[in-house]
Amino acid sequence: MAALLAAIGYEHWIIHVLLALPILAMPVILFAPARAARYIAFVVALMEMVLGIGLWWAFDPTRSGMQFVTDVTWMSRFGIGYRVGIDGLSLLLVLLSVIMLPLVVWGSWRGIDQKQRGFYALIMALNTGMLGVFVATDLFLFYMFWEMLLIPMYFMIGIWGSANRIYAATKFVIYTFVGSFMMLVAIIWMVAVVGKATGQYSFAYDNLLDHANLLRPWGGWLFTAFALAFAVKVPLFPFHTWLPDAHTEAPTAGSVDLAVILLKMGTYGFLRFAIPFFPMFALSKTTGMVIATLSVIGIVYAALVAMVQPDLKRLIAYSSVSHLGFVMLGIWGSTVESVQGAIMVMVSHGLSTGALFFMIGMLYERRHTRKIADYGGLARVTPLLATAFVITAFSSIGLPGLNGFVGEFLVLLGSFGRYPWLVAIAATVVVFSAAYMLWSTQRVFFNRLTNPLNEGIGDLNLRELAVIGPLIAAMIWVGLYPAPLLRRTEGAARHYVEMVTPALPPAALPDPGAQP
Amino acid sequence: MPIDLSSPGGATLALLPELVLTFWALVVLMYVAWHHRDGHDMRTAGGLSIVGYIFAAAATAWLAWRGARPEGLSFMIALDGFRFASDALLLWIAAAVAILSVRWLIRQGILAPEYYPMLMLATVGMMLLAGAADLITLFLGLEVMSISVYVLAGFDRTRRASAEAALKYFLIGAFASGFLLYGIALTYGATGQFNFDLIGAQFAATPPTLMAKLGMGLILVGFAFKIAAVPFHAWAPDVYEGAPTPITAFMASGVKAAAFLALVRVLAEVFPALVDLWRPVIFGLAAITILVGNLTALSQTSMKRMLAYSAIAHAGYLLLAVWAHSDEGTAAVLIYLLAYSVTIVAAFGILASIERAGARTVRLTDLEGLFSVRPFASIGLSICMLSLLGFPGTFGFIGKWYLLSAALRAGQTTLPVIAMVGSAISIGYYLPVVLAMTLKPARTRQAHQTIRFPRPARIAVGICVFAILLLGVWPNTVLNFATQTAVQLRQSELPIGPR
Repeated sequence: MAALLAAIGYEHWIIHVLLALPILAMPVILFAPARAARYIAFVVALMEMVLGIGLWWAFDPTRSGMQFVTDVTWMSRFGIGYRVGIDGLSLLLVLLSVIMLPLVVWGSWRGIDQKQRGFYALIMALNTGMLGVFVATDLFLFYMFWEMLLIPMYFMIGIWGSANRIYAATKFVIYTFVGSFMMLVAIIWMVAVVGKATGQYSFAYDNLLDHANLLRPWGGWLFTAFALAFAVKVPLFPFHTWLPDAHTEAPTAGSVDLAVILLKMGTYGFLRFAIPFFPMFALSKTTGMVIATLSVIGIVYAALVAMVQPDLKRLIAYSSVSHLGFVMLGIWGSTVESVQGAIMVMVSHGLSTGALFFMIGMLYERRHTRKIADYGGLARVTPLLATAFVITAFSSIGLPGLNGFVGEFLVLLGSFGRYPWLVAIAATVVVFSAAYMLWSTQRVFFNRLTNPLNEGIGDLNLRELAVIGPLIAAMIWVGLYPAPLLRRTEGAARHYVEMVTPALPPAALPDPGAQP
Repeated sequence: MPIDLSSPGGATLALLPELVLTFWALVVLMYVAWHHRDGHDMRTAGGLSIVGYIFAAAATAWLAWRGARPEGLSFMIALDGFRFASDALLLWIAAAVAILSVRWLIRQGILAPEYYPMLMLATVGMMLLAGAADLITLFLGLEVMSISVYVLAGFDRTRRASAEAALKYFLIGAFASGFLLYGIALTYGATGQFNFDLIGAQFAATPPTLMAKLGMGLILVGFAFKIAAVPFHAWAPDVYEGAPTPITAFMASGVKAAAFLALVRVLAEVFPALVDLWRPVIFGLAAITILVGNLTALSQTSMKRMLAYSAIAHAGYLLLAVWAHSDEGTAAVLIYLLAYSVTIVAAFGILASIERAGARTVRLTDLEGLFSVRPFASIGLSICMLSLLGFPGTFGFIGKWYLLSAALRAGQTTLPVIAMVGSAISIGYYLPVVLAMTLKPARTRQAHQTIRFPRPARIAVGICVFAILLLGVWPNTVLNFATQTAVQLRQSELPIGPR
């Protein structure tokens, strides 16, 4: 496979094609007949997926740096370039984005019955934006993609969302936008400082990373500016309030994209930019303690809040906050295991939460309600859906043998040395997450079938099976045999940890993975 | 091509763009003296005035292409890249406003084609103001511009708001001119010179006296009135709201641009030696202007008033680059003014088309549901709002990026943070416009049915919106122009001693 890809020059054009294809498809979708829009979107999405999936083989896990690199001058006056590349940190997220695209399009097949052209055009724009964030290695380009994503998401929630959509869309945009404003100042400031010292004004990631020591005097301010933008997106505990609203009000496709990819942009930002640029400040004892504590508060608090939600979507939204807390904890654990675990949690949260949102969307299409209390005993009428839901719920809880377990276990293992007490508290969440997931599953699918409206519901059709099936298969595969994924992230994780290790204060307990 | 500015021929050559425009304004005036009856005359006068702008632009381009520069001292008028770039910017704004006015005036029943010669004379004043190399030329340009704009602001004279705007603008403008004149007098008293270079050289050689410092302070106050910086801004919202909509666009982009360009030139050529004195003033003005402008804009319901307050905030952002006092800052001012004027012309062009005769102020609620009836207009206005907000992918973002970068490279970190806080606040009034148009349903079924977009306005707005997007991702050409040719201000290390 790798030889075939090399023969067609895959590594030279793949990123550009992945970025350009959805954008080029936009006008086609917008000006096509309204009925054809979704078919065109689906074909484009499939092409994107087929092309993108080659990255899995073309990526060389033995190299730790950026691969598929392109560096073209763009705005030479500012030192801005079109610079893209993929490494082990971004590979899985890029793959997740391209694989989700056709599923998202197909998942919206029935749910979106008005203004289809606009909807599918926005999905395409969203996909380019998400990919761009993960592949950009120029800070200007990164910021541009980061912000431009807001527009399609805003309209997706605002136009196709449910009752309270305008409030949720506005809140989402204002939170994210205000959060990332200071990042803009920080980016320009960094380049001004580095440029003054070296004479070379460039927004290239490598250039700034090489001279990161010049930024040390202002590290605290700059890190805070970056961290604010990323913490809102993650979302870290006190900044999370936009998320339940946005998730709940968004249409299924919007919720899926938010959960699977948009939330990862925050944690990715920490791993890629905020910590490597300012390790001395980011990983200092105080900052580390503050962020790890906030993560653990988020993990436990969100799980407790999820338990009492009457709305299924809101429940899953809070469970996302809880899972993303694990990612943050893993990142600050700063061992190879914990960082790999963080990446694994990102991927498996994407798979399981994406599947959950899809299934809630399917339920909603049938019954037009998301209230848990309106359901009950569905397993009798929709056995396939119930099976899929139960598997996914187990994966979300982190049952061994399914994907959720791998990441969470690695995070807890890897972070234990640094934050033993916090890890101990975080580990208790397994109980809570089992409680909210199983309890809600029971109330929706088991119990007695009391509501007569629920009797006529149809089970999954072929299209829906085709959306859910791959996700379930991936969950089982990742759970049983995560080695290929871990191998591809290991180089990057190791490189990252080596980079930040000098900044680390001594751990509370010796690193279990360290060689004697 | 060296031009001896002290000879009559040289001075004529150096003033060619202004002379061409003045001559053409007189030609149009002669035409309208006999033809001022109906819409056809209005259209012809408008078309003729646009030809005049093109001629003046051609004259400017010719001077720039021949590499005109002063031989020896530049008397009265500057001949450098900055002046040519300023002229091009101001001429483009004037021409765009003329295009927007053509059908608007007819629809509003303002059948007075003298409008166009006035607009041209105002442009001559703006060009003189921005190109002045002498305090007397500066004042002359300011007055020619201001008097024409007083008339234009009250052009819809049967309407109370317009008359009120004109009177307010006149009173405050006269007040500001007084400050500026007194400042000029004091500077002259301190140095015995009117010429920018000579004054600059004198300040560089000998420490400025108290009189010179006072003169500088008063000149700054005069400029602060013209650019509507807080606390000298109180006139702006009423005047912007009352004036005819195309004239509001003209004031928000053109008049402000001319004042900013002159401010940059004066600070770079006359007062570079006093930089430590004026920088704190600019700092304070910028900080308070950004915060007050943005916070006040939040509570506005009228679109014109909201844009007036946002114009105040944008003046605050521009002061960042003035603070930087570097070539980068100069280029950033030019780029930002271009970005801002393109956006403002497009935004006001759309708003002017939405206005109906009679009920004239467009409120935010009037825009609800516009997307379903006029999708292109509402997409255009949304793009303008994003550009004003400084959203990536629009030209406004490039402008803001450059401003921040100029200030940060000059070592200023507080102002950029304040500017970004201001921008963060501004999403609170730009986003509701987008929201009202796209997400809210129309109030009534008949809403927006009366909107007509005349073709000239449609073309002008279309070009502007396209430019916002294109220059948002590919600004290289204008960036290179701004950074290489346009920043050629004559810095005062000229070998001229005080007389």
